[in-house]
Amino acid sequence: MAWKKRTRSEARRAQEAQAAQKNAQPQQRNTFREDEELEEELNIHDITRIAAYLKPYLRRVAKILAAVLLMSLCAIAVPYMSKVVIDTVIPQKSMWGLVWLAVTFAVIIVVYEVCLRYRTVEIMRVGQLMLKDMRRDIFTHIQTLPFSYFDSRPHGKILIRVVNYVNTLSDTLSSGLIGVISDIFTFIMTLVIMFVIDWRMSLWSLVLFPILLVWVRILQHFQRIAYQRLSNKQSNLNAYIHESIAGVKTTQTFAREQTQYETFQEQQGSVRWHWMHAVHIQFLMWPGVQNISTMTVALIYYIGITHFAGVNVSTGVLIAFIAYLNNFWNPVINIGNFYNQLITCSAYLERIFETLDVKPDIVDAPDAVELPPVAGKVDFDNVVFRYEPGGRNILNLVDLHAKPGQSVALVGPTGAGKTTIISLLSRFYDVSEGSVSVDDHDVRGVTLNSLRRQMGVMLQDTFVFTGTIRENIRYGKLDASDAEIEAAARAVDADQFIREMPAGYDTVVEERGATLSAGQRQLIAFARVMLADPRILILDEATSAIDTRTEEALQNGIRKLLRGRTSFVIAHRLSTIENSDEIFYIDRGQIMEHGTHAELLAQRGAYWRLYESQYAMLKVESEELGKQA
Amino acid sequence: MYVQQTATSAAKGNFRWIWPYCKPDALRVVLALFLFLIDKVFTLVMPILAGLVVDEVITKGMRERLVPYLVAMIVTQLAHTVTRYGYQMIMERFGQNSIYRLVSDEFEKLHTLDFTYFNHTRTGDIMSRMTSDTDAIRHFLSWVTYNGLDCIVMFFSAIAVMFTIDWRLALALACVAPIIFLIARTMARKSHAIFYSIRNSLARLNSMVEENIEGNRVVKAFVREDYETEKFDEHNDDYYQRNMKLAYNNAAYIPWLDGLSISLQLITVVLGGYLVIQGSMSLGALVTFQSFLWMIDGPTRQAGWLLNDLQRFSASCIKIRKLLSVTPRVAETEAPKTAPVRGDVRFEHVSFAFPDDPKNPVLSDLDFHVDPGQKVGILGETGSGKSTLVHLIARFYDPTFGRVLIDGKDAESWPLTTLRSQVALVMQDTFLFSDTIGGNIAFGAQRSGSDSGPGQADQEFIRSMAAIAGADSFIRSMPQGYDTVVGERGVGLSGGQKQRLSLARALADDPAILIMDDTTSAVDMETEAEIQKHLREMAGSKTVFTIAHRISSIKDADLILVLDHGRIVERGTHEELVAAHGRYWEIYHKQLGLQAGVGTFPQDSGTNSSDEGRN
Repeated sequence: MAWKKRTRSEARRAQEAQAAQKNAQPQQRNTFREDEELEEELNIHDITRIAAYLKPYLRRVAKILAAVLLMSLCAIAVPYMSKVVIDTVIPQKSMWGLVWLAVTFAVIIVVYEVCLRYRTVEIMRVGQLMLKDMRRDIFTHIQTLPFSYFDSRPHGKILIRVVNYVNTLSDTLSSGLIGVISDIFTFIMTLVIMFVIDWRMSLWSLVLFPILLVWVRILQHFQRIAYQRLSNKQSNLNAYIHESIAGVKTTQTFAREQTQYETFQEQQGSVRWHWMHAVHIQFLMWPGVQNISTMTVALIYYIGITHFAGVNVSTGVLIAFIAYLNNFWNPVINIGNFYNQLITCSAYLERIFETLDVKPDIVDAPDAVELPPVAGKVDFDNVVFRYEPGGRNILNLVDLHAKPGQSVALVGPTGAGKTTIISLLSRFYDVSEGSVSVDDHDVRGVTLNSLRRQMGVMLQDTFVFTGTIRENIRYGKLDASDAEIEAAARAVDADQFIREMPAGYDTVVEERGATLSAGQRQLIAFARVMLADPRILILDEATSAIDTRTEEALQNGIRKLLRGRTSFVIAHRLSTIENSDEIFYIDRGQIMEHGTHAELLAQRGAYWRLYESQYAMLKVESEELGKQA
Repeated sequence: MYVQQTATSAAKGNFRWIWPYCKPDALRVVLALFLFLIDKVFTLVMPILAGLVVDEVITKGMRERLVPYLVAMIVTQLAHTVTRYGYQMIMERFGQNSIYRLVSDEFEKLHTLDFTYFNHTRTGDIMSRMTSDTDAIRHFLSWVTYNGLDCIVMFFSAIAVMFTIDWRLALALACVAPIIFLIARTMARKSHAIFYSIRNSLARLNSMVEENIEGNRVVKAFVREDYETEKFDEHNDDYYQRNMKLAYNNAAYIPWLDGLSISLQLITVVLGGYLVIQGSMSLGALVTFQSFLWMIDGPTRQAGWLLNDLQRFSASCIKIRKLLSVTPRVAETEAPKTAPVRGDVRFEHVSFAFPDDPKNPVLSDLDFHVDPGQKVGILGETGSGKSTLVHLIARFYDPTFGRVLIDGKDAESWPLTTLRSQVALVMQDTFLFSDTIGGNIAFGAQRSGSDSGPGQADQEFIRSMAAIAGADSFIRSMPQGYDTVVGERGVGLSGGQKQRLSLARALADDPAILIMDDTTSAVDMETEAEIQKHLREMAGSKTVFTIAHRISSIKDADLILVLDHGRIVERGTHEELVAAHGRYWEIYHKQLGLQAGVGTFPQDSGTNSSDEGRN
């Protein structure tokens, strides 16, 4: 039994423990080097939250417990039967008695077998189901978190929360928890029997118990700190490994393998050191229990034999009592181990709950309604935006109106707030003052799903998922037929390159589209948006890295894409936006100028200057061309 | 590398394979073994002492011996716990040291692998190999080893003692041993495949979540949270099902082992009882015999679990060995120290096809020469092989046919590190480390081998490099300037900003050959012109390859190559190519039209206030 307990505590560590950072403000970035704060106390609240995961399976747990108790009965019966054989059957030389006993024994073994089989499967099931639920909760929760959450920490640290260290809880939750329940049962039963046999000796055998409690308490303090530190280091190492894999091409390009390797070894060395430290404390628990248990046995022998302090017991009682005393310490060791495990787990548990506790900034209002299919009227009414109250205004009194089907262009220097404006439109942030509305519905009053579903966003980073090209395009409209997908690809002129791929639309794209060029990824992303067929289209510098022929085709595609939709286009090159219905020049969070291309040029303001400078460059070229042509 | 993987090592068993990683700690193992044996002695002394107390003190009434015996008990227990603690810690250290070497080798190996490997292997999978798989090995080395030994020692010494008491009964019990072995082995055989599938399932789950985290912007933009959750549920459920398979496998065998351990008692009691009743064995002997039963009880029950652990170990070994035995297609050649690269590049009839798609040549028959310090522009459509071409220069791939010569010497005969430290490649996909902006740029500036961080002088250098790349002004406008931490993949920065940072990083490397693969695609025109100007001013000695879509980025090049479907269709200078009225001229023409919109230029210009209103 003691062996199994040890496996559990070992396996718990074995599941690769990680932790993550604490209380990271969105603004505070976290690299693989950063550690997190430590919290001392084992939180009762965490335990009740864990219990909530157990709740749906209480029926199963009850059945398992019944099986476990039945097994303990069998386990108790076996030595009793041996005793019967030795004390009764053999002295009476009863062969029949022996046969009967063998039969009973066999029955017991069968019952035990059945129970054990049931327990083995069911404990695993309950444990795994709980983990599955927990993993799912974390996953669905992080889907609701804002970009800033992902931007502000290494992805390796988020990853391990969902997978790895939910797994570290596996043994504690299933076998550990059920084991400890039956141990507590055994402990109480034994204690009762001991008091029935001799209450004075029972009291004596509890004399050293407080020392054990103190010992456990002291160890717990250090162990908890040690494991928190360890989990921090493991988390850092994990983040570093993750980043190294993601950045391996960069490392190779710069031939920096050696320095990366050295940092890695440093990180790994630090994990090793903290591991040894944590294990050192953890391993001290068992010797404490063992030694105190032996001292107690010695004490009882002494008292029982010398009749110390008026204790007067017969030899038979003394020997029986010693036997029970061993029974008493076994569950104590197991409970101690479980506690040990719990403390270690709590380092990981905290991180899990902490993740679950991160509140998304943007949530549906309680009375949010579905946004009905929109025509595409967009209004920014005196919008002010700042990241935190009292902070710098990122946008200042932006007043911007777009009629259905209108194309709006946003122009201005980097960091002027163009991207912020469109983020407010799809409600990735909420305005600080003023309002943003679509078809006269305030975006804060409608559900996020219904709002974002009607918008198509093309970002600078085109992300391609592992899977076929077809699946990647289908991401825009999950129930699209193959014909629809191909039509969308044709509309943005992606069809040709896709057909040239070895397996056409069924060509498998590797992680992050590594086997595609940037231009090809962009075309796929365009087809994806085309398929989604949104009423409002947002292009955030989406056409930067495409060759001329593709771009030419793409611009035709975009023209088709824009037709009948309200669109917001951010672009560096003015040539791409000249035909927009309205152009807004943004600088320092404010609309400096707006109007059509011709109006703005006539104003001779910032837009005009920008246009002039771009034109000047082109003009030189065009003159050259004229000369040569 | 701590251990060189040789061709023969592939054939070795897992134990012989892992041994070289453990070898430096062999002394630790010997010491642990020594402590272990001492500890076993203490373990045996304990019940003897208890027996003495009962026999001598209680039964024979030798009261004066009570206290010495009790003290001996306490001391023995103390010694037992100390020795046990000792060997546990030593073994833990042993395991840690061994996997330290193993993971270090994995890490080092990983960095020698080529792009083809990374293009086809998912990050989540590599992560699993470096974390959970190595942990299974650690668990085996620092825990399963001594527990397994413990079981074997206990089982056989108990059987040995039992033989001295009654050989018939002991023989009957010993007969159980092969059955235990058979059951445990069958179970372990089946569980091997299950462990393998569990860890693969976990790797898939890992990869899926990883991708979801990386692509969170797209997920949100398309409101696909539910769809992602569905995908996740599938993987989550798969992982659950596979774990349940293991549970069913365990449930099919473990109860037999436990049942066997109970039947040992049955055999002892029934057969022993029979023998006693028959009169061929004394009751006392049976009682003593029985008191040794607990020693074989434990090993019997544990056999299955321990073999399971062994299987987990071997499943993980296979995964790690696979990683360690991948032969990079681009192999390092041992070469003497060479002079720094001058920057002379020659392609001799180079063709290239990816090994997994040999029928589709990405490049065919490229033949050109570039003198040191020359500028080369490469133009071509999406997927025409431009990136592959420049990857050949830094030897991220080796050509399928033909040769790439750097300074007149085959690229394959250059030491990789020398070559790559002289060739800076700024890629389309910019990757920034989660570090400060300054630290990211300094990544290029560190001379390999030196471990000192960037000093004060270096900061000036970093700043000047950032200025050349047109990044200084936006960096300084950030709240924490050069100390701003950027995330993995540089999220939080715009595409153009990331590109400028990675260019600065490459410049800090001071390469002889600078390759810009569409580096300024997301940078606005004015900034790009500025960068071009800076580069012209600083360059001189550098050979520069520029891949671009905009003619304006490459028209000053000494040599312009126009690629189409992996072939050079036109070459020459801007003037020559324009005069040729071919493909290049066509693109140029279109581009001017595109960039100028409808082509209606305002009549007058001349003002060149390009920097006004910019950051």
